[in-house]
Amino acid sequence: MAEDLSNAVTDSDAALVERIRMGERAAFDTLVRRHQAIVYRVCYRILGEPEDAADATQEALLRAYRKLDTFRGQSAFKTWLMRLTVNVSLNERERRKATLPLDDARLATLPEHTVDLRQAEAVTQIHQALQQVPPNHRAAVVLRDLEGFGYAEVAIALGVPEGTAKGWAHRGRSRLKDLLT
Amino acid sequence: MSATDEVLSLLPAYAADELAAVERERVERALAESPQLRDELARYQRLFVLLAALADEDVALGATAERRMLRQLAIGWYLGGVVRFVEGVASAYGRALVHYLGGGRAPRSQQGGR
Repeated sequence: MAEDLSNAVTDSDAALVERIRMGERAAFDTLVRRHQAIVYRVCYRILGEPEDAADATQEALLRAYRKLDTFRGQSAFKTWLMRLTVNVSLNERERRKATLPLDDARLATLPEHTVDLRQAEAVTQIHQALQQVPPNHRAAVVLRDLEGFGYAEVAIALGVPEGTAKGWAHRGRSRLKDLLT
Repeated sequence: MSATDEVLSLLPAYAADELAAVERERVERALAESPQLRDELARYQRLFVLLAALADEDVALGATAERRMLRQLAIGWYLGGVVRFVEGVASAYGRALVHYLGGGRAPRSQQGGR
């Protein structure tokens, strides 16, 4: 048991992937536990609703398991997983075609220095504004500014050249700036 | 694109400290001369404070949703195993059939792949 815990802490993603390929269920559980939080956060930021994000998280992790044979190790596993996660989230978003209604009146009443608002209130406003950003631009902002990925990783996760990823992030920021400041 | 527009397009990256030295200096020269650009920069700086607050938000899957997800993943794992098993059996059966129909010759792939 102690050895299992030790392995769970020290095994690299690549080692876990190899163990999963050999049929080791515990390795899959470890990989899921390691990454489910970031997968859920990204799904939630892109989809906007906790229930949708939970469904998308499950789908992304299941898809990762099913497609594990296609992971060649050319990027970090986490980056590869982010690509699946973003794809699942954007597809889900497209399928539902549901956008959260932006409370324009509420946004318009934001004081100039929003940072002075209680943090929870500000966070809600930003989350709502984020849902008004075009999906690709939103995904770029989420990965770059909320999750801290480098542009090279953002580009891989979005399946576009790095210059495009930068452009999307900048346009997403510009839209958010107009909505929030 | 005018010079001002070009600098405007660089402002979010400048506020995020993503620019190379040459571009950063160019933006700073323009900022020194333009109150409009300085206002715009201040808006981006506020945006990044807000984004930092959002990034700090504790976003996590609820316990019930997590249990449901782990259950579904476990089912997915075992179903995947079943599918591989069935595929393996079907594949072996197919090879045996080919072997039988081929009058006892091994499938081509086992004869050197020609």
